[in-house]
Amino acid sequence: MNKVDYQLELDQIREALGYDFLSLALAEPAEYDYVIRWKYASGNTNDRFKRIVLQSGRGIAGIIFKTGKPFLLSSVQKHVKPDTLFTFPIIKMENLNSIVAVPMWNDARVAGVLLGGFRGERQVTDDMLRDLEAVARKGIGDLNGKDLLLN
Amino acid sequence: MKPGMDLPNALMTKLFENSTEAMFFFDSAGKALAMNPAAENIVDKDILKMLYQGNPLALCGTCRGYTSETELRTCLNCYFNTPDSEDFTSYQVYLETKDKGIVPYAASFHTIDFENDIRVFMLRDLTRQFKTQEKFYQNKMMKHIIEAQEKERKRISRELHDSVAQELMSAVIDLRVLKYMTDDEQLLKKVKHTEVSMTRLLNDIRNLSVELRPAALDDLGLDAAFRSHFKRMEQSYGLMIEYETQLAEKRYESEIETVMYRVCQEALLNALKYAQVDTVKVSLTEKDGVLRLLIEDEGVGFHPGDEPSGTGLGLYGMQERAELVGGTFSVDSGIDRGTRILLQIPVGLAQGKE
Repeated sequence: MNKVDYQLELDQIREALGYDFLSLALAEPAEYDYVIRWKYASGNTNDRFKRIVLQSGRGIAGIIFKTGKPFLLSSVQKHVKPDTLFTFPIIKMENLNSIVAVPMWNDARVAGVLLGGFRGERQVTDDMLRDLEAVARKGIGDLNGKDLLLN
Repeated sequence: MKPGMDLPNALMTKLFENSTEAMFFFDSAGKALAMNPAAENIVDKDILKMLYQGNPLALCGTCRGYTSETELRTCLNCYFNTPDSEDFTSYQVYLETKDKGIVPYAASFHTIDFENDIRVFMLRDLTRQFKTQEKFYQNKMMKHIIEAQEKERKRISRELHDSVAQELMSAVIDLRVLKYMTDDEQLLKKVKHTEVSMTRLLNDIRNLSVELRPAALDDLGLDAAFRSHFKRMEQSYGLMIEYETQLAEKRYESEIETVMYRVCQEALLNALKYAQVDTVKVSLTEKDGVLRLLIEDEGVGFHPGDEPSGTGLGLYGMQERAELVGGTFSVDSGIDRGTRILLQIPVGLAQGKE
């Protein structure tokens, strides 16, 4: 299998869509019990969030993994109570204020989560969500982006 | 004492004047003949007037019912109409007081002068006694609740760990065996997907089990349970924990271990939620027969006594748990000077067990 450059692709997507921060969560191989982690990031201030093991059904990526539905949080300040913020460690660690996340499909399975966010005043809109979904559908790296198996 | 007065009379006067017990003297028609200062202090001015004027319903203006066998507050078979009945030698009554709202009193209503049919209505404030009783009751309930909760968590956690997770594990292994039984690429790919989902499900179930109550706490002891909890805190929330330990024993009484673990868990969660830190220091030591748990952060802190940002039940719960095993619990915090939580539990043999 030829190694794909996820990092380069992420940098390019971030530039094209204008996000401050873009990250891709993927499942680890069998040796690591297929746990989900933020594997690649562009525009990050540190690598701390990569240590976090995402549990399916918990947190942003976990919920998307389980449901396959996109997630949009236009303003963290307005919509997240301070005492529940700890359940979204990536928001805290990267100091994000507005985020959008979409599932990355591969052969009709959610294989990853693509998350984009802004730190300042700028907010994610529904249009931006659609654009990010379109990017995800085209596939990144080994992930083909197909949410239905039509063969 | 003035000479010439006999002692009982003088004492009775003093009792009337200075007793904290309220006394009302009524004639047979329900007109108030006299009230001591304590009684006059209870009743509203207007009602006081009505009482002295002899309005038979005056007392109803302040009375809020007595406690009967069937009801907490009732007016049925009012004590005022049937003095000297067996039921009213001692009973509980509620009065609307001048400045303290509705107050419970222990009351008695009986005739003291049979010739002139004069009755006395005496009241003793029960507020304090009620509070003590309530507190006592609350403590007892809290202990039962904590105990029941731990027990039930343990049961469900065991069930998940020993039976559900085990079954699932064998199913995953069965799936893995499939790949030696066929060459069908498409089938194998599908099976692989299923295996991934099931492995993840298995992990979820294990996590659930550990979160409910870590088996390590029962099987391996405090130190092991702490270490795995800290690792999970780091993995789930990115919270780093600097852990220091010096224990004389490997195991302690199960109750003590539970309290230690739960208090630590709660304190870390508080730090995570409110302190705005990413490092917390935990030290667990035993010295001179006292087990000592110190949890320190250098976060924003809070002013003890301020309106809590959460429910405020967390700190209360930690305190309760500490008391449960005869330990002491203290919180030291201030705005911008971090928070230190200290839990000390005696474990020395000298302490003895009942």
